[in-house]
Amino acid sequence: MVEIVVPDLGEDVEKAKISFWHYEEGDKIEKNSDIVELTTDKATFNVPAPETGIITELYFEEGDEVEVGEVIALIDDENEELELSEDEEEEDTNF
Amino acid sequence: MSLNAVSTRLPHWLIKKIYRNEASLETKEILKSLKLNTVCESARCPNMWECFSKRRATFMILGDICSRDCSFCSVKKGVPRDVDESESAGIAEAVGRMNLKHVVITSVTRDDLEDGGSSHFARTVSMLKKRYPEVLVEVLTPDFQGKVDCIKRVAESGPDIFNHNIETVKRLYEYVRPRADYYRSLDFLGFIKTNYSGIYTKSGLMVGLGETGRELESVFDDLRSAGCDILTVGQYLSPSKNNIPVAEYVHPDVFKDLENIAFAKGFLYVMSGPFVRSSYNADQVFDKIKNKDKTEV
Ligand code: SF4
Repeated sequence: MVEIVVPDLGEDVEKAKISFWHYEEGDKIEKNSDIVELTTDKATFNVPAPETGIITELYFEEGDEVEVGEVIALIDDENEELELSEDEEEEDTNF
Repeated sequence: MSLNAVSTRLPHWLIKKIYRNEASLETKEILKSLKLNTVCESARCPNMWECFSKRRATFMILGDICSRDCSFCSVKKGVPRDVDESESAGIAEAVGRMNLKHVVITSVTRDDLEDGGSSHFARTVSMLKKRYPEVLVEVLTPDFQGKVDCIKRVAESGPDIFNHNIETVKRLYEYVRPRADYYRSLDFLGFIKTNYSGIYTKSGLMVGLGETGRELESVFDDLRSAGCDILTVGQYLSPSKNNIPVAEYVHPDVFKDLENIAFAKGFLYVMSGPFVRSSYNADQVFDKIKNKDKTEV
């Protein structure tokens, strides 16, 4: 399991707002695709997924305030479905 | 999506990707272990993760408390502490560990010090030049209240680029930089160009504070008259609810137009875009002006 944590967004920034979830629970996400958009008083950021996986939990709603360092989502990077879809992709490339 | 969330979303060109990878975490760790301040963190620069991932950072010397109260900036304000001379050695160490080829050093404003902190700037630049003669050093200094001896001290310590930001158009100084002076900043840049022709001069400004296109053009003209070589233009972002609000989110096409206008006025290099900051990709700028200088010779 890979945790999505609210990153450090500058000195004395303790909180951010979840302004947009790019995916829903159950979706497959590719490594480096943006999973969530976070907004601070100063700027808006897209946080990418560190690994490919299936999103198993989104712990907050859009509009919620979250703290720097807090876990906001979980990605299952060892899910069976991933192996299946990888196999399918391989098959596809054989055509 | 909640209404609340919709109202807080910025235009798509102002959403910054977080580059939280091995390189950026390592940069953060080096800075932390050497107890160095960076403007990247102190000013909550939105480019922080990107620059750290490229192993770049802008060192902020003379402490982390500023003696001025500019309304656009989130650096802590108040009564600054004594100067920590070991900062220079810490930066020299970081330059080695980060393998930097181009170092940018800035500072808080220290109107409380007789020399405005210029001796500490000069000490840091000299130390870097001695230890790493091949490394390019760029300084981004406050106005030293226009004191010529302070400006000279820094210029004579051997920086390759001397940056002093004009920040905004003349009309907005009272509102944005109440304790600075538009003409003092221009004279500052002009003094360096006149007396130290081997140093490239650079300045930057923020847009989105309520200025007009015509006012921006007259700043470009004034900077060129002061011999300024390099210009940066970026979007102002309000660091917190206590700072002045953004008047406008300027479209990337307008930044492109400003870049073309400024180039036409004769700057050696111009960088204009929503996320451009004075020190953004500073190393690339130097390569470009060097090549340009060569082709013009
Ligand atoms: S643009 Fe400058 S201040 Fe911002 S993170 Fe990069 S180096 Fe730091």
